[in-house]
Amino acid sequence: MSLIQPTAAPETARYRRPASEVMRLARMGSGHPTRLSFLRVLLRRLAGEDWQMDRPVWSVDARGVGHAVYRVTGAERTYSLVAFAHDLPPEMRSDRVIATAWDATFTLFDGDPTPEDIARLADNVPLQEAGRISVKELTLARANRSVRLFAHVIDALAAGHQPEAEEIAAVGYLMRTTAVYGSGKFGAADRDDIAARPELAAPFQVEMLTVWLIRAFTVDLAEHMAAVKGGARAVRLDPEIRRSLGVGNSTGLGMAPFIVRHPVLLNNWMTAREEALARVRAQQSASQAAVSHLQEVVVAAIDNAKAWRSEHPVQVPKLRDLRGDLDLLKQTFATWDFRQPHPWDELWTWGESALTLEGQEALLSLMLEPHGALVDDLADRMCADEAASFRLSGAMTVGELRGILETDYAWALAIDFTTPENTARFWYVSEEKLEPRLGDRATEDGATLEQPLCIARLASELYATVREMDDATPVASLLLAHPEHRYAVRRAQITRAHPFAEVQDNLIADDMLPIDLLRCKLAFFGASQFDPRSDRWVRINLFQGAPYPDDIKAETSR
Amino acid sequence: MTPVPHDQTRGDSTPFFRDAKPAPLSRNEVASLCMKAARGAGMSWGMAEEAGFAAAWLAAHGIDGPAHLAAHLEQAQGRAWAELCPRVTPGDWRAAGGGTLCPIVLGATLCDHAALAQGPLAGCSITLGMVDHPILLLPFLAEIARLNKVLVTVTSAQVTACIDASDTWMQTATEMLSGQAADLTLTAREGALKNPPAQTARHTKTSADTIAALNAFAMRTTVPASEQSRAGAGSTLGDND
Repeated sequence: MSLIQPTAAPETARYRRPASEVMRLARMGSGHPTRLSFLRVLLRRLAGEDWQMDRPVWSVDARGVGHAVYRVTGAERTYSLVAFAHDLPPEMRSDRVIATAWDATFTLFDGDPTPEDIARLADNVPLQEAGRISVKELTLARANRSVRLFAHVIDALAAGHQPEAEEIAAVGYLMRTTAVYGSGKFGAADRDDIAARPELAAPFQVEMLTVWLIRAFTVDLAEHMAAVKGGARAVRLDPEIRRSLGVGNSTGLGMAPFIVRHPVLLNNWMTAREEALARVRAQQSASQAAVSHLQEVVVAAIDNAKAWRSEHPVQVPKLRDLRGDLDLLKQTFATWDFRQPHPWDELWTWGESALTLEGQEALLSLMLEPHGALVDDLADRMCADEAASFRLSGAMTVGELRGILETDYAWALAIDFTTPENTARFWYVSEEKLEPRLGDRATEDGATLEQPLCIARLASELYATVREMDDATPVASLLLAHPEHRYAVRRAQITRAHPFAEVQDNLIADDMLPIDLLRCKLAFFGASQFDPRSDRWVRINLFQGAPYPDDIKAETSR
Repeated sequence: MTPVPHDQTRGDSTPFFRDAKPAPLSRNEVASLCMKAARGAGMSWGMAEEAGFAAAWLAAHGIDGPAHLAAHLEQAQGRAWAELCPRVTPGDWRAAGGGTLCPIVLGATLCDHAALAQGPLAGCSITLGMVDHPILLLPFLAEIARLNKVLVTVTSAQVTACIDASDTWMQTATEMLSGQAADLTLTAREGALKNPPAQTARHTKTSADTIAALNAFAMRTTVPASEQSRAGAGSTLGDND
């Protein structure tokens, strides 16, 4: 439910933050989910449009092994999650991409699967990377149980009582996904094949739908196994406890290169979010309804930050910052003069000096929350036609290219790439597992096989080449003489038209934290909590507090 | 169902194709595999992206782009840039040593010159000389037709392929250009291209052998494992919780 009506669009340009502020790694690594996050976009659509959900197949035995189908049916199309439940020995449980077996495996089928489809999928989906799916499938995913919580919930329900609240809060999910693949991976349908469907136009909608249906499956499986164990004594999960469970996700370096490799997409995500903030700031006044809503959501944010656990030395102080800032925000909202002109902009400006990066980015999320009618349409701008930006302009002059580098890449040209600390790492793909990794240049072999992810250094090398060249030379001639710069020239031309395309930091510096890249992307997904397990490996929770397929229609979606 | 542990742990399933069974790759898989293979065979990253684009474009139009690219990379690997790239002069783009041009480099360079005087403008006639696996040039010629609003013709003593307004140009051009190499001249005239429809069904019959050949090139971009790299990859905490 949105509490304010869209006003005539005021000039928002002067309220927009510059890319030089937004695109820094430390700030991106403090990102919070917003109402433009992809799972929120999905839930709004499922709640607000004519989509029906059911579970046409439940074929799971007493050991919890078998398969189930969860179906989402709209006016024109049906999507079905086909879930396979397995009996996994503990010694095989690993969240790494190198695992070979999981507690459960999934695919999102485009339509209603026939028994023949299910049989084909049963031969392939449990194998994950070693199997193949087809154009009829949209995603491939797998999940492992939280062993402790899963067992605790089954034991409690089987014995006829609810699980302990503390145990639920300590984990927050029954299963965590360790990969959700889409976009043509392992033979699945290509993004281009489905991007024109309105319900899938926003980014990662099939992936989010997959995870949301997996969440329903995890609870159904636990209740099923409790019923097997407890017989007539067994009870079902309390709706409030059920609601508090999300789906965990465990993610490593593999996700980090994505936002570097998709500059137009990153630009569109960032631009939409920043335009949303600018629209809120540009309002001349605040409605009482919006202010009340703001005061509600800060309380929810405080609860979320309380439940958020991490032992990681980087995240612990960030969480302390966030909790302190949220308390300050709650107090400030209670006393803020919302009757002054441009109260939202004044609030934002105050926050920029009073809050840490964690708090500032949390404030952004909170300020968008009461303004659905004003900002939700921006979700439609978050997809990208990447092919349209691929062809580079050879007629551009070297003088113009140099100008782009000197203005849009000034942050990169300021980095001294002759020092060891600024070239300390290198990104590579491991031969053994074909997964992206980060090496130490001084002590590890393989730097000659470096992946082109440090855009700052590539831009800097390109600049060294064009510095002394004649201004009038066309880029086409530059590329004939220097084919090694083709990648960086393409980036520079993309960035000229997409100011939020680049992460404006040195991605091979000794103090760079890959988890900052992960958090940025995961916040856009809608991850509510972020628990680093190392500087390159995190766990998160998705859909915590969200409705389930069987109750989404019963409530008003915000 | 009990999961069968397979001896595979890689973020990619293409090595699991076997025999001559056709492999229905997604376009994303074609682009990604071909880009990595081209890089592994020695192309710069930016040019390797062009190879991925070309192979995926062909696959989307029912042509086995991956097979042509694999064959071309076999031929081109190890050859110096100067031998593979055109020497751009008015009307004559032949390679400096008179060698066989790389169709990816030639195609990308033609697109780079789309708006330049020496490029494929309406009314031009450019001697290209010998071009390896010229079918790989086709995606770029379609790009030029789109960018410059021209109809492009490539001719040799044996073949003439027109990228034009007819309904059948794609089929004809494919037949004409599918050889190992051709000695070509390019002309362009004003006109509106008829875009062939891209296919969502996967009719492109790429063989397991082709995929194995491309994977062999792609693996050259990867770094062998060390204890240090394994140690840095995952969580420092257990997952059995």
